[in-house]
Amino acid sequence: MKFIIQRDRLVQSVQDVMKAVTSRTTIPILTGIKIVASEEGVTLTGSDSDISIESFIPKEEDGDEIVEIKQAGAIVLQAKFFSEIVKKLPTDSVEISVENHLQTVIRSGKSEFNLNGLDAEEYPHLPQVEEENVFKIPTDLLKAMVRQTVFAVSTSETRPILTGVNWKVENGTLTCIATDSHRLALRKAQIETNASESYNVVIPGKSLSELSKILDDNNDLIDIVITENQVLFKAEHLLFFSRLLEGNYPDTSRLIPSDSKTDVVVNTKEFLQAIDRASLLAKEGRNNVVKLSTIDGGVIEISSNTPEIGKVVEEVQSKSVEGEELKISFSAKFMMDALKALEGSEITISFTGAMRPFIIKPLNDESILQLILPVRTY
Amino acid sequence: MKQMYPKNGRVILHVDMNSFYASVEMAFDPTLKGKPLAIAGNPEERRGIIVTCSYEARSFGVKTTMPLWEAKKLCPQLIIMKPNFERYRAASMGMFDILHEYSSLVEPVSIDEGYVDITDSYEFGSPIEIAETIQKQIFQQLDLPCSIGVAPNKFLAKMASDMKKPMGITVLRKRDVPHILWPMQVEEMHGVGRKTGEKLRYLNIATIGELAKADEIVLKAALGINGPRLKQKANGQDLRKVDPESASEFKSVGNSTTLPRDVSNQRELLQVFEKLALQVSSRLKRKKVMAVSLGITIRYKDRRTITRSRKLKNPIQQDEEIYKMAKELFIKHWNGNAVRLLGITGTDLVEPEQAVKQLDLFSFEKDAKKEPLFQTMDLLRKKYGAKIIDNAGALSEMKLTRPKIGTDTSFNKDFLHSRPGRGNKKEKDDIS
Repeated sequence: MKFIIQRDRLVQSVQDVMKAVTSRTTIPILTGIKIVASEEGVTLTGSDSDISIESFIPKEEDGDEIVEIKQAGAIVLQAKFFSEIVKKLPTDSVEISVENHLQTVIRSGKSEFNLNGLDAEEYPHLPQVEEENVFKIPTDLLKAMVRQTVFAVSTSETRPILTGVNWKVENGTLTCIATDSHRLALRKAQIETNASESYNVVIPGKSLSELSKILDDNNDLIDIVITENQVLFKAEHLLFFSRLLEGNYPDTSRLIPSDSKTDVVVNTKEFLQAIDRASLLAKEGRNNVVKLSTIDGGVIEISSNTPEIGKVVEEVQSKSVEGEELKISFSAKFMMDALKALEGSEITISFTGAMRPFIIKPLNDESILQLILPVRTY
Repeated sequence: MKQMYPKNGRVILHVDMNSFYASVEMAFDPTLKGKPLAIAGNPEERRGIIVTCSYEARSFGVKTTMPLWEAKKLCPQLIIMKPNFERYRAASMGMFDILHEYSSLVEPVSIDEGYVDITDSYEFGSPIEIAETIQKQIFQQLDLPCSIGVAPNKFLAKMASDMKKPMGITVLRKRDVPHILWPMQVEEMHGVGRKTGEKLRYLNIATIGELAKADEIVLKAALGINGPRLKQKANGQDLRKVDPESASEFKSVGNSTTLPRDVSNQRELLQVFEKLALQVSSRLKRKKVMAVSLGITIRYKDRRTITRSRKLKNPIQQDEEIYKMAKELFIKHWNGNAVRLLGITGTDLVEPEQAVKQLDLFSFEKDAKKEPLFQTMDLLRKKYGAKIIDNAGALSEMKLTRPKIGTDTSFNKDFLHSRPGRGNKKEKDDIS
C-alpha cells in the first residue's frame, strides 16, 4: 500500500473516525484505525463495536486531486499515535506506505515516522445493512432533532433502555423521545419515506451525540437505514453505524398530560435568565431547586433559598397567566436544559398541579415539547 | 479566685456518672441500695448482657457486657432489671442542668458523661471547689454518684475522672503525665480500643509512656491519622474544644441489632432490616431530618464486619424507602454467610426544609395523590402556626408511650436535643 494524500483531508477524516475509537475495548485491534487504499480513494474506519464510522476520501473532488494512489492495500494503525502524528506533520501532503510486512512509513516534508501496523485482515467487518428501507432527513434537521432530545437521556445504568433516544417512524413522521424519568424531551418532524414504513427503535444517546458532532451543518439529505439491531446514517463520504438498544421503550404518550390547569406565556430569554440567576444560590447536589409562584397582575416570581448561603427573589412579567394560582418547585438545571433546546422567542408552560409534570412548548409550535417533573418539597 | 486558674490555657471538668443506670434505679427505689444490681438487655435472649451493674455486683466479679448466665453464676442473688430509659433520660437531663449552672460550655458526650469548660467560672470558686460543689449537688439533688476529672484538656480530664470511682475527684496536670499516665498500659488510655491496642503491642508499645515517645511516622503507618493524635494525647496534649453544639450536630442516625442467633436465611435477615428501617425512620422523623446517604452494617459469624453505603438521589425518611435501599445494598454485598449483627445508618442529614424529592415520570402519581393532604397541612400551618399539624411520626419521643427499646444494646443521644431551651430553636410559629 502506498499513497500520497492532502494532510487536511486526512486529519479531518481521522478525527471523524476517532469518535468511534476508544482505548477501553476488549478487542485489541479496535484501538486502531483501518486504512484501505483502492483505485477510488482512501477509506478510514474506526469502531468500538457499538459505533462504527467509515470515512471515505475520494481520489479527486471538483477536479482537484486529493489522493494519489501508488499501490492499493490496507493496514491498521494505532489510533492514538496515528491521529496525533497526522495532526502535527509539517507539510500539506503526507505519504503513507506499508513497507516490508506491517511496517508503515509516514512521510511529510523532512519528517519520517515508522509505525508498527496490524494486519487489516484481522479487523472486524462492519455490519452488513440491507439498504431496502431508507428514509431521508436534511442534515441540519437531523442535528437539531438530536440536540433537542439527546440531553434528556438517562446517564444511569439502572434502566439501560433510558440511555437511548426512542425513534418512531409512523405515517411519514419521525418522533424522537428521550427521558431520564425526571424530564422528557420530544421532537417531531416530517420525513421523506415510503408512507407504509413504520419503526420503533432505541438509539444509544452516545451514538447520536457523536454523529451530531461529525455531521456538517448543511441541508444535504442523510439516508437512514434501520434494521433489527443496527441503524446506519449515510452522508456523503461517511457511513455511521450504531447498535440499537434492546428492549421496549416505555410508552410515554400516556404520561404526557394533554390538559392543563395553569398556562403561562413568557419571553424565553427573560425567563431563562431569571432561572439562571435564581439557580446561582440553589445548591448544586441538592437538586438545584428553584420555586415558581404566580402572583397578581400576570407576574411570575422565581425564588430560591439556601439557608447557609442566602436567598434570591425575582419577578418576571409574563405575557399571560391563565387558570389556577400555582406554586411549584423544580430543578433549575432541567429547566435551563429545556429552554435552551427550544426555538422561538416565546414559550407556553402548562402546569397540571404542583406535583405533576409540566410542559414547555414554543408558542404555536407543536413539533417540540419539553416535559419536567417538579420536585416535592417537604 | 482567678489566681487559681491558669493564665493561658483552660480548665476542663469531665463528669462521669458512676454505674449510671444502676444508680438511677437505686435512687428511684432506695430499697435496692447496697444490693448487687444489674441492668441487662432482654434476659430471655442471647443478647441479654449486662449493660451496667452496681458496685456491689462488681465486687462479685460481675462486669459490663458479661452474659447474664455468667453473671448469675458469679452472683446468684444478683437483682436483674430491664432498662428504664425514660428514667435515665430524666436523670441525665437533671445532671446536665446542674452542669449548666456553672458554665455555658457544657458538651454532653453520652447520657451519663459530659465535659464542662470552667475556665471563666472563677466566680464559683477554684476548679476543685467547683468540682466538689457539682459532685455534692448531683448527689444531694439527684441521689446519684459521679466521678470528676479536673485537667487542662478533655483527654486528661477524661483520664482523671476514671481514676477514682465512685465519687472521686482527681486533678491531672500536665506535669503529672510522666509519673501518672506513662506507667499505665496503653489499653487503659481513652481512645485505645482492643484493635488499636493490638496494633500498638505489635509495635512493642505496651505503656502510655512508650506511646508518648514512639516514632510518629511508624505510628502513622500503623494507625493512620489517629497514630500521631494518640501520641499527642499520651504526652498530655489535646487541643479539642468543649463544644456545646457537638451533640446537636448529629451526623448520622443509625440502629443496629445483634441477632438472637446466627442467621443465614435471607428472608429472615430482610425481616430484621425491615424492623431496623422502621426504627431509623421513626428516629429521623423525630429529629425532623432526612438522610441523603444510607449505609448498612453486616457483622458475620466470624465477627468480620463490613459497612456499605450509597448516596441517594433523593433524601429519604420513610421506612419503606429506607428498607428498599438497605435491601438493595444487602443483596449486593452480602456474601451468604451467617450473620450476627445487622445495622442501618442514615448519614448526610438535611432538614426537611432543604430536602426535596425529584419526582419521577413513572411514579409521580403516588406523590401527587397526597397533594391535597400536603395542601391542607400547609393551609393549617399558615393559619394556626407551624406546630399545629405534623405527621404522626414526628411526635416527640417523650410523648410516645414507652418506646420499645431494649433490643438495642446501645443507647442513642437523641434525647440530648430535646432539652428545653436548646435544640428545636429553628422552630418558630408563623403567625402571619
